[in-house]
Amino acid sequence: MNTVTPEVMPDARQLPSIKASRIAGLALFGVLGCAAVIGPDLVGHDPATQSLLDARQGPSAEHLLGTDHLGRDMAARLLSGARLSMGLALLSILSAGVPGALLGVLAARSGGWTDRLLTAFADAVLALPGLLLVLMLAAISPGSWWALYVGISLTLWVEYFRYTRQRARVVFAAPQVEASRMLGLGPWLILRRHLIPEIGPGLLTIAAFGAATAVTAVAALGFVSVGIRPPQAEWGVMMTELLPY
Amino acid sequence: MPWVRSVLAILAGRSLQALIVALVVGIVSFIMMQALPGDAAYRIAAGRYGYDMMDAASADAVRLELGLDRPWWIQLRAWLGELASFDLGRSHVYGSSVIEKVATQLKYSLLLAGGAVIASLLIALPVGIAAGMRPGGTVDRISLVVSIFLRAIPAFALGIVLVLVFAVQLGFLPVAGFRGPQYLILPSLTLGLGLAAVSSRVVRDAVADAMSAEWRLFARTKGLTARRTIMSHVMRNAALPVVAYVGVQGAYLIEGVVIVETVFAWPGIGHALVHAIFGRDVAMVQGTALALGLIYVGLNLFIDLTCRLIDPRSS
Amino acid sequence: MNTITKELMTTTVAVSELCVHVGSTQLMGPVSFAVAPGETLVVMGETGAGKSLIAQAILGTLPEQLHSSGVIEVNGERVDNVAAHIRAASWGRQIAALPQEPWRALSPLKRSARHVRETYRYVAQHADPESSCARVFEALGLVGAEERLPSELSGGMAQRVAFAAATAGGAPILLADEPTKGLDNDRRARVVELLSEVPRQGGTLIAITHEVAVARALGGKLIVLKDGQVVEQGDTLSILAAPGHAYTQELIAADPSSWPQTASATPGKVLLEACELSVVRAGQNLIEGLNLSLRQGERVALLGPSGVGKTSLLDTLAGLHAPARGSVKRADGLGPRAVQKLYQDPPTAFAQHVSLDVSLRDAARLNDTPWSELEDLLSRLAVPLSLLARRPDAVSGGELQRVALARALSARPSVLLADEPTSRLDPITQARTLEMLAQIADARRLGVVLVTHDAHIAERWAHRCVSLS
Repeated sequence: MNTVTPEVMPDARQLPSIKASRIAGLALFGVLGCAAVIGPDLVGHDPATQSLLDARQGPSAEHLLGTDHLGRDMAARLLSGARLSMGLALLSILSAGVPGALLGVLAARSGGWTDRLLTAFADAVLALPGLLLVLMLAAISPGSWWALYVGISLTLWVEYFRYTRQRARVVFAAPQVEASRMLGLGPWLILRRHLIPEIGPGLLTIAAFGAATAVTAVAALGFVSVGIRPPQAEWGVMMTELLPY
Repeated sequence: MPWVRSVLAILAGRSLQALIVALVVGIVSFIMMQALPGDAAYRIAAGRYGYDMMDAASADAVRLELGLDRPWWIQLRAWLGELASFDLGRSHVYGSSVIEKVATQLKYSLLLAGGAVIASLLIALPVGIAAGMRPGGTVDRISLVVSIFLRAIPAFALGIVLVLVFAVQLGFLPVAGFRGPQYLILPSLTLGLGLAAVSSRVVRDAVADAMSAEWRLFARTKGLTARRTIMSHVMRNAALPVVAYVGVQGAYLIEGVVIVETVFAWPGIGHALVHAIFGRDVAMVQGTALALGLIYVGLNLFIDLTCRLIDPRSS
Repeated sequence: MNTITKELMTTTVAVSELCVHVGSTQLMGPVSFAVAPGETLVVMGETGAGKSLIAQAILGTLPEQLHSSGVIEVNGERVDNVAAHIRAASWGRQIAALPQEPWRALSPLKRSARHVRETYRYVAQHADPESSCARVFEALGLVGAEERLPSELSGGMAQRVAFAAATAGGAPILLADEPTKGLDNDRRARVVELLSEVPRQGGTLIAITHEVAVARALGGKLIVLKDGQVVEQGDTLSILAAPGHAYTQELIAADPSSWPQTASATPGKVLLEACELSVVRAGQNLIEGLNLSLRQGERVALLGPSGVGKTSLLDTLAGLHAPARGSVKRADGLGPRAVQKLYQDPPTAFAQHVSLDVSLRDAARLNDTPWSELEDLLSRLAVPLSLLARRPDAVSGGELQRVALARALSARPSVLLADEPTSRLDPITQARTLEMLAQIADARRLGVVLVTHDAHIAERWAHRCVSLS
């Protein structure tokens, strides 16, 4: 799992060319998402049903992408794998992003011990490479969903937290917020006018990177046989299974 | 001396990080131990004396000695106490001491990590500098597309593709394992390409920033040649974010080591960790995870000190 | 300086019909002039008038998308049609340029002496660059700063280091683009003194400035630019004494030293009273035992050089910081919004990502000020309402400061605290903005505290001046 630090993250101002690629990436993500949601029902094959007589066939009208070594439909398996990876990615974005950003605002606003405690916790998570932590958490209960999910969320929230905290501190200390407070703007308006427009795009970028990170992590863990277990169709697992062929 | 103080501050910060690594690894390993099915006393006895040498009596002795019937927090303290005295126990799969095992694997992992960093620099520096000298030019645009593509592929998939092309199809290089220097090429390249995908962009940004900086033009207008300006002003300033970024990539490097070692059946720590998790070998999991975590800390320390050397402002 | 060229040349820089274009749009020109050794040329005009383009065209550092037409000769040779890398050979040796912002011109990781030493070593090729460098540091009063990084230098020191680095190559021609930008009066005088040395030693100085005082001190010839066009050209001192063009007159009138003296006020009741006030920031004692009272309809200036704690004092008066010792009392009936602030850098005082309209309507709504009243106010401040659809970074500094004034007034304050509100503005805009502030303050009987580092502004604009040092 690759940790993306906000300091070096290519934001739109630094790298104008990223903008176009970001749109392309989102489009690709969207297509994959649609395929993941409705795809498995369209294909009409169960991704785990074996049929050894049909093993290792090429693409045909019946099996659009052929079958694997156990005669399972490749298209069904790919799409079902997509549903799994995307579902996990989206879920972990939510459960990492929402608390991460909220705690970041809290730390920046209250300062003092709250800030120090939250920052220390974030630093503790960052002390280990993310995948290592996920790997160990997943090892507590191999093959189970929740360990993977908790592990990924736990490593991903730090990005949102650190980014939000750092930006929010700057914004809260800026003359723009001071002026607004003197004019009588309350906390909610300060958030809406000053902070949210400032951190929104950055959070979306982190979320996009985070989703990619989560998908790769799930695949990598499946590949090293620690994450999702066969016969569940997961991309990393599929690559391991098919490697000998 | 301000620089002594700043170096001490770096050392203190990274020592704290090492401590946190040990604590997190220890606690998670402890939970893993508790979560395992079956009787913990038997497992630990087997871990200590080997499966052949243990029996119900030694298991009872272990239970009494470690107080496995005591509340969990006292057991946790004992577990961490062993860790603090560098007692990592024995692998119940291999029977040998974890420290010995990790020590032999360590050099392979370091070899792979070193090879990967060198490969990534060999790719990222020329590509990034060429792209940064002419932002928006052909090199810049092509390298952007390639780097996005490479960054999007997980390391294991890239490894498999490289194996299929260079080892299986072309037969240039060995598929997996380690029996000589040529075995290092594909794993380092797999990991190095993944690293270079991002760091070439960092190099490009750093060089482009330095080239468009006002101080670069001033160095020129005061009379320095283009070459001298680049050597004495641009490169040093551009090096700073690049070196700092190698530190950020440390996480990717360690993660990559785990994955790539598995792909190439490389006899290093990462491969051992995956095996240990698979074989429920808690002592090995703890030992290897700790070693990888500490390599990460060590790398960060090295980067901090290098940045301190390049940038006198950080004092 | 090469003695042969000195004897042969009567002019060192000659420019005729110089224009600068972007695409087919003309940004600047036509400009023609000639300067000889020992002479000074001053180019004066507001920001955006195209002054810097002249220097860039002569040096050959115009940005890629811009191109020039006309003839430029340096030391008798035509250079406008010569490839950039060939022109670069004359940099530092024949023609040198002093940067606008020295901090940004000195690369941040090199210690100050090295910037100068490398010019001596590689450009002038002195046998002993160390001692040449030591001599010039001594001459410029920089002894002790040799091992400092650019970020550790004050603005004035950084300007002198940049001057030493730029001129060490021995170039007889010096281009100085806004060399006194952001410097207070004392430091400005020292930089002007440094520049005057150039023509006195037989060199040629081309200085670009928007400050009348700097032009007057440098003398020589003058070109006044407005929107890229030359409006007046001739002897500096005679033009400044008897400006022919309305724009030149306006520029001169905008210089705070020629502002009329404000008539004394008839102050009303006390609004704000500071007793034995001490201000401590970051462990530093900035101000001690200050007594200050502000009355209705009164304008008080706080004068002092940068770093003296003017802003911290203002924030303490505003109630944003607690005083270290002493007290700040507001008159009875003055609520929390009765004190409002104006900021030095207006773009940072507005929410960055929403339109001005949203910011203003928020302020009006929360303070029960009818929108029509705010519209009236904006038109009196000469802010077109169409500007409000823009974001703060898309509006000029002068206009934005007036929007900020309108926003502050929407809270119906009794006290306005203004933190160098015009120091980033052009002289003409500055004069206009402060005049409007004075009018409104008089009309509404506001108490105003103005922080400034310009003694002329403090003297002429305020009723009362408090010097901090």
